[in-house]
Amino acid sequence: MTSGFPGLASATSALMSLTGMSSFGAGVILIGLARLLLVVALFVLFTRVSDSHRLAGIAVIIYAGSSNFLYWGVQYSYESLSLPLLVAVLAAFAEREAASPKLLRAWVVPIVLGTLAVIVTHHLTSYALVIVLLALALIYRLVRSPKPNPWPFAVFAAVLAVGWMVVAAGNTVDYLSPVFSGAVSSFWNTIFGESKARGLFQSPSADIVYKTPFVARLVTLAAVGLLLLGYFAGFREAWARRAKRPFVILFCFGGAAFFATLGLRLAPGAWETGNRAGMYLFIGLAFVVAYAVLRLMRAGPRLLLRRAALLACMGIVVIGGAIAGWPWDSQLAQPTRITAGGTEIESEPITLAHWIGAHLPERKFAAADADARMILAPGGAKAKTGDALAIKTILPETSLSNWELPSLRGNGLGFIAADRRIEATDPGRGSFFYVPGSEGDALLPLAAMHKFGKRSLGRVYDSGNIVVFNLRDRP
Amino acid sequence: MRGHRDLKWVCLAAIVTALVAGLVPWELVRLPAALALAIFLPGYAITAAAFGSQRLDPQRLAMLILLCGISLLCIGGILLTFLPGGLRTLSWAILLVVVILAAARAAALRRGKPDGSRRAWKRPRPRVVDLVCVVLALAVATAALVFAYTPLPASKAVGSTALWMLPAKGTAERAVDIGVISAEQERQYYRLEVRAGEGGAPTTYHLALDPGDERVFEVPLESASGKTRVVASLYDSERPHRLYRRVAARVAGSPSGGG
Repeated sequence: MTSGFPGLASATSALMSLTGMSSFGAGVILIGLARLLLVVALFVLFTRVSDSHRLAGIAVIIYAGSSNFLYWGVQYSYESLSLPLLVAVLAAFAEREAASPKLLRAWVVPIVLGTLAVIVTHHLTSYALVIVLLALALIYRLVRSPKPNPWPFAVFAAVLAVGWMVVAAGNTVDYLSPVFSGAVSSFWNTIFGESKARGLFQSPSADIVYKTPFVARLVTLAAVGLLLLGYFAGFREAWARRAKRPFVILFCFGGAAFFATLGLRLAPGAWETGNRAGMYLFIGLAFVVAYAVLRLMRAGPRLLLRRAALLACMGIVVIGGAIAGWPWDSQLAQPTRITAGGTEIESEPITLAHWIGAHLPERKFAAADADARMILAPGGAKAKTGDALAIKTILPETSLSNWELPSLRGNGLGFIAADRRIEATDPGRGSFFYVPGSEGDALLPLAAMHKFGKRSLGRVYDSGNIVVFNLRDRP
Repeated sequence: MRGHRDLKWVCLAAIVTALVAGLVPWELVRLPAALALAIFLPGYAITAAAFGSQRLDPQRLAMLILLCGISLLCIGGILLTFLPGGLRTLSWAILLVVVILAAARAAALRRGKPDGSRRAWKRPRPRVVDLVCVVLALAVATAALVFAYTPLPASKAVGSTALWMLPAKGTAERAVDIGVISAEQERQYYRLEVRAGEGGAPTTYHLALDPGDERVFEVPLESASGKTRVVASLYDSERPHRLYRRVAARVAGSPSGGG
């Protein structure tokens, strides 16, 4: 899908070209800037809608309790860039709503520029932007707001999104429709008992099972309970502002919808849709809950105690969100570089990547997902992975079909990095040191490696779990 | 631009940072220049062009600079793809400088006559407690970065030994380079056996490697015509009869390996 939505790649390319950094370094800086934009934009948006800096600050802290804030949203992925852009566009829009007539046109520039950037960066975010602007246009109409109705922006975003899909990202429908249809059918099947409900805190992968401790589960459930309590406690005060700021209606509905999406987490095929939607809906929830927090912080008896309790509750919300959004074993990264005998050594995949960087730069590899990322950076070579050329199927199977190696060669690949570690297919865990006895120590059968040897391919590198075969070196 | 000091500085900085990003080889020097050229200067110039003489709060200005700067990068790459230069340092630098200069010029026109004192943004007046919070946040962030980049011992982690073989480069005669890399937790002793051709006796090497060490052997091959099959086998001293690592290749006159 990247080719259809090149915004992230375009921005990364600019930083790579101008700094001379690797894609990794440029990506880290770009996502860091996007995170900064997200926090500042949320603050500006909440300030404008609430007319309170204090409430805005609290709401931003509560937003950090979104399950995707701490981990998912910092990945190098197009949504990590597009969500901050969307929030900034909404903030600019809220500012425009409150601006004097002579400044109405000034705010159009960032809104249009941001909308263009969102459209070319991520499909779901662009559709979310269209939906939000359409909803705002409808709300303005229903509440008969004296402010100019935002329908021109909604139409502009809708035309751009559809136009972009038709002109540049034609496969978006094919890509997204199975996800949504799968989510809907899974949800209904779960409700009517035709399929088993998904257990909470379970890894979606059937191969690797990571257990979340009881206390961590309790903290997460407590966080959801506190948010629900906060939503009910803050709703009345927030809702009272709806006439002055129609945005409030959107936030109130968004907050309620967040709790509805929690139900999707129980359906195996819908949990991801619910999890992703939560990122957007949590903006409204954070705003409403902030009113409850502010109420408890008002002067009165036992203020110190109330403040201490609030601090603890906000801690539970933020920590609970982090636990809900990421597998327990990956909350803290495992080592990729350690000290041994007074020097530093690196994990097996990174050792391979540095060797490739030194001896086979620019070459083309087939590799499992995590290895492919290391081969790209720091390896400085090229790698295909996943569904591309059926690499996801070829690597773990125990025998080769006749078409598979010619297909890899025919597509210009010179080497294949075969990795016995099942975790090598997991980009979040596959680059760490191998730890026997851990939950992720499972290995593929030896036959998965021997199948290449049976074809008498040259072996250029062998580090135990990882063997690199030369696809051109054959009898 | 006359009289608009901020815009003059922005234009000057655009040219200087473009030259630094394009000509200076050191990443550490290029990085701040590139960030200014790619994000902050265009973001500021576009914001100034949109808002003219209107003064903005620091947080709104910060948001607009980031929004406009990042958005320009997202869209700029698509534009450059269709231009002859493509996505290169020079083309990015030219695009960004042109946008900055054009936006600064538009801002100057929108502002009209300068009044000599006004800034495009309101000067923030942080309280002591704000500054303490900022310093604390910076300290925590710095400590987190230092901690993240400091390798620590991990006794449960299993190290690895890699054996590799590639045709030797830069030698007149036919040869292969065979390397052993130790990423083990302790000093390891190995026996390396290299067999060239089908019937030849193996050449044996004994080596000891400390963690992080690498040893490379250049093994000359008999200059027979056609390809020679070379097999290198590595044995660990703890289990000397059990094959530990193995690489194999058919070596011709010129380096092999495609892709």
